[in-house]
Amino acid sequence: MKEITIDPITRLEGHGKIHLFVNDDGGLANAYFQVPELRGFERFCQGRPVEEMCRITTRICGVCPDAHHMAAAKAADAVYGATIPSAARKLRELVYNGFYAGDHTTHFFALGGPDFVCGPDAPPEERNILGVIKKVGLDAGKKVIAQRARGQRIIEIIGGKKVHPVTALPGGMSKRVTRQEHEEMIKIGQEMVEFGKFAIQVLNDVVLANKAYVDLILSDMYTHKTYNMGLVDSHNKVNFYDGRVRVTAPDGTEHAKYDPEDYLDYVAEHVEPYSYLKYPFLKKVGWKGFVDGMDSGVYKATPLARLNVSDGMATPLAQAEYERFYETLTGDRSGRIPVHSTLATHWARVVELMFACEAVALQSQDEEIISDHILDPPTSIVGEGIGIVEAPRGTLTHHYKTDKNGIITEANLIVGTTNNNAPITMSIKRAAEGLIKKGQEISQGALNKIEMAFRAYDPCFGCATHSLPGQMPMELVIRDAESREIIQIIRRNC
Amino acid sequence: MLKSDAVICLGNEILSDDAFGYHVAELLRSSGELPEAEIIFAPLAGFGLLELFNRRRRVLIVDTIVTGQDPPGTIHLSPLGQFTPSYNLTTSHQMNLPTTLEFGRQMGMAMPNRIDVLTVEAADIETLSESMTPAVKAALEPAAGRIREWASGK
Repeated sequence: MKEITIDPITRLEGHGKIHLFVNDDGGLANAYFQVPELRGFERFCQGRPVEEMCRITTRICGVCPDAHHMAAAKAADAVYGATIPSAARKLRELVYNGFYAGDHTTHFFALGGPDFVCGPDAPPEERNILGVIKKVGLDAGKKVIAQRARGQRIIEIIGGKKVHPVTALPGGMSKRVTRQEHEEMIKIGQEMVEFGKFAIQVLNDVVLANKAYVDLILSDMYTHKTYNMGLVDSHNKVNFYDGRVRVTAPDGTEHAKYDPEDYLDYVAEHVEPYSYLKYPFLKKVGWKGFVDGMDSGVYKATPLARLNVSDGMATPLAQAEYERFYETLTGDRSGRIPVHSTLATHWARVVELMFACEAVALQSQDEEIISDHILDPPTSIVGEGIGIVEAPRGTLTHHYKTDKNGIITEANLIVGTTNNNAPITMSIKRAAEGLIKKGQEISQGALNKIEMAFRAYDPCFGCATHSLPGQMPMELVIRDAESREIIQIIRRNC
Repeated sequence: MLKSDAVICLGNEILSDDAFGYHVAELLRSSGELPEAEIIFAPLAGFGLLELFNRRRRVLIVDTIVTGQDPPGTIHLSPLGQFTPSYNLTTSHQMNLPTTLEFGRQMGMAMPNRIDVLTVEAADIETLSESMTPAVKAALEPAAGRIREWASGK
């Protein structure tokens, strides 16, 4: 047996590796996805005041600091038994939707989009945002920059800083919004809605108008019938900031709907010896290995999963796109039949982008957000709290235990990508099975299609603050299984 | 109108040696702002750096690096290109530096004429800790000196 290692993966945070084990006859035997993880988080938290977590956890990940900020704030609220003022809750939701509007824009146009805009067989050095604007025009790039700036401005106004917000704290928020800022956000919201429409148009023109791409999205190579997980509001509509966790089965029926504080009754974690990252699974279904189906507790928590567990979107344009999504991919616009095509996650992300833009437009008009009553300082302590939000890349759980003074004694986090560790592994294997054939040389296009299998998850496995060295060439290493000697190395983009 | 030159210190203040950028920025500030350049600590990457680059003539990026070829604490100062021969994207959710710069140029932004990079070889950038390893901590003063020289145009 030979081992093929793809290391490191382009456009993947951290230093992930893909190991492909190939039989002597050239067929794929197995695939593993291996990632390192930041070390010592629980120990780092111990002994710190729980109110510090809202600021500290934004440094865990340079990709989704806003998600950690909100999950930490909600968990800290719970530690103190605090119910935050209505205006504070509205500010948190508004800033979180502003974050989503920028974050999903980045992924669709700069990261996932290049696979479709430039094509899966394009050279890796062309599959980036430069390739995108070469195809769709400079104006699209300027619109992307403007949209990201809008999202950052919302975060700056409410969160206090453009990237790493600092204003949520136990009991509410620490910074008021002025009348002038309120009016600015209303204008930003309107512009965001126009951008959301533009994103849908690009999706139509570039992806959906190309039958080959639609066939690729729907192909068995990118399909896994797993359970799905996501937050929903009281009407079972997608909600990023709050609600109950809903889990649906591969056939679309409801498996569970639970409050965040009950997550340990529903989620357990499997460990493999080759990875620091754990593999969460549904406790009541059980871990049956890297397999899909009704009997396997593997679940997805992604934009696609959020759509699958919901009964729709809470805003009109996003709802219209939701219905078109399901009608196109299942023939039933109600969404009752789940979509299991991993690459459809990109389209689901655009549906959510539209929702985030509309939500900013709607919520920014609420006069209550300029209220002075944004904080009710806690006066007692419970000593344990759980906060769950939907990070762009999956359900994010923060769980803290403290002493009577609010000093952390224990912390547990399940981050967005961790939920998807098993599905990512399965998706890589399935894609590789479809592309690595006996007696055929492995092409650059095949490697990219394997990458596409996990890129749809928008995975993130570490801290994203590094820019150097700026060169992480992909290596495909083929080893002899017996001697472990390298037989061949294929380097990409050196 | 061009803004002043910038020293952009990257990193994460709670990730062991990755806090080097944060601490060297604090050191330079505490000893008096460099009159010739703006000192910025930026826990950012990719798109997030575009605005910081815009309308600068010269930029110095300060960051930790792990090559395994030098002892921890080793300082190098060189033009950007030496470190970034590829346009290939490197993270799941950001663009790399050369892609960011080229994107900025194509968008009509005034990207710097010159970008230099000061790197410090790190021993540990994976453990969550507010303490740097001794060798990297010892590199703070020498690095600050190199940055002052760069800012004065020497």
